[in-house]
Amino acid sequence: MKNSKELKKHLMRERVSYLMLLPNLVMFGVFTVYPILWALRYMLFDYKGYGEAVFVGADNFVRVFTRDPVFWAAVKNTFVYAGGKLILTIPIAFLLAVLVSKSGRANAVAQSIIFTPTIMSSAVMALIFYLIFNTYNGSVNRILMSLGLIKQNINWLGIQYAMVTVIIIAAWGGIGNYMVYFIAGLTGISEDLYESARIDGANNTQIMFRITLPLLAPILKMILMLALVISFMDMQSIMVLTEGGPMNRTNVMFLYIYQLFFPVTAGSAVPQEFGYGAAVSLVAAAIIGGVTLVYLFLARKLDKITE
Amino acid sequence: MPKEYRMSKVWKAVGKIFKWLFLGSMCVFTVYPVVYAVLGSLKSNAELTLGGNLLPKEWHFENYAYAFSKLDFGRYTWNSILLAILTVILSVVTASMGGYVLGRREFPGKKVISSVYLSSMFVSVGSVALYPLYKLLNRLGLTNHMLGLALLLTGGQVANVFMISGFVRSVPKELDDAATIDGAGIFRIYWQIIVPMIRPILGVVALFSFRTAWNEFITAQVFTMSNPGLKTLSVAVANLRYSANAAAEWHLMMAGASIALAPILAVYLLANKQFIAGITAGAVKG
Repeated sequence: MKNSKELKKHLMRERVSYLMLLPNLVMFGVFTVYPILWALRYMLFDYKGYGEAVFVGADNFVRVFTRDPVFWAAVKNTFVYAGGKLILTIPIAFLLAVLVSKSGRANAVAQSIIFTPTIMSSAVMALIFYLIFNTYNGSVNRILMSLGLIKQNINWLGIQYAMVTVIIIAAWGGIGNYMVYFIAGLTGISEDLYESARIDGANNTQIMFRITLPLLAPILKMILMLALVISFMDMQSIMVLTEGGPMNRTNVMFLYIYQLFFPVTAGSAVPQEFGYGAAVSLVAAAIIGGVTLVYLFLARKLDKITE
Repeated sequence: MPKEYRMSKVWKAVGKIFKWLFLGSMCVFTVYPVVYAVLGSLKSNAELTLGGNLLPKEWHFENYAYAFSKLDFGRYTWNSILLAILTVILSVVTASMGGYVLGRREFPGKKVISSVYLSSMFVSVGSVALYPLYKLLNRLGLTNHMLGLALLLTGGQVANVFMISGFVRSVPKELDDAATIDGAGIFRIYWQIIVPMIRPILGVVALFSFRTAWNEFITAQVFTMSNPGLKTLSVAVANLRYSANAAAEWHLMMAGASIALAPILAVYLLANKQFIAGITAGAVKG
């Protein structure tokens, strides 16, 4: 009795707190929780946007795992894309960070310039790249031709090279971002450590492998995980650049799901499959979760080996 | 000894040359597409498609006049500005109040809310969310107004709330207590003590929600599908790729792209330090 009275008093005293939290709480409920619940409900239904939703139980999942090769091709593409992006982005970003992390005007300017892609719309940039990589009039082919590196125009957005092009553009957009993360990590390492290592006669290579990298390991792990998860969810620039084509060559998981709900171009017709789309997106979320867990497990193992 | 000394000096100079060669080429690689777009937007279509120099032979400023008058870019620019203003206000107000309450006050239910917020950061259903949210906003009559899109882009903001509550905790609690003794209520403490103290991080939230609002394509595309009058610059520019004369209008595509890029580049020029510092603040704390 006394407890509930006290609780009431507490609630009364903090009523302004609740009021202040309310807007954010409502928006969290609507924009974060509601879609998840929606997906959890409709994953069990056959629902095409009109008429009644028909309960089909687990059939949507059976379909994902047994009758949908396009989705699994998209999963494979996602792994290729994410892997390619990380392999290209992370080492360059790290090297840049090492080169420009020291204070100084020139370094600061270089940092600011290389960071620029992070602030620009990837959709707008995708349109620009679409022209730059154009087969006949694009400047990439023109430059390579004038340098004598190619004899014939390359179809950068064709079946053979589309994925490579998409990855290069993703790296263009990501390098500056991860460079800044690495710089934050590097500036966290005390200057005294470098100083005393140098006094002990260590050279630059030794300093890099004995001091910088080991001390950077925790933040490196975090950056890699962030990069991994984000690249699994990328789709914006791919959507503008190739629409997942040609022949689904650049169709990634999240773009495939998008296509189950909305037409990619305003005019194109789409077999809208909301129930199935909900099921596929939960499978995709599970795949991303699984990749994260495997990554964490491997990172842990690696720690033990290096110790 | 002096010879060795000289040698190491030579190596240092060589290293410096390589460093700046690499940095220089990375800078060129980064800037090239933007320069290509801006200069291309001032060329005639024929010159742009045939190649030639980076600089235009003749400067065709009328490309911009055409984009604004015939392609409706004036309206899209206004839409983007309105969306950015609404999103920044909504984000800063809701996240700062939420962050303050979760970082400072003690009340029943706080633990549950915090842990639900935290666990939501590990679930990503991606584009599937757009459909139910669009339907919901439609039912609420919000798809005819930019406010609907601003709400959608603001969203739950869990990362921002946590980032702000971290900063709120670093404000000395004695300030609150002194204000309470002086008779200040919960809201007045927020408004007169906390907000002035955490202004830098609110600036970061504002900057990044501005970036999101200005750049976001997919959400804005879905939101404006049945209401093209609300298209933002990102959507309008990306859609130029599918326009009827897409093949023949590179110069207009580049003019549109430049119109979309110029404002955010201007903001970046003024606030590049805050952008760079902000991205690490968000990553480390979020």
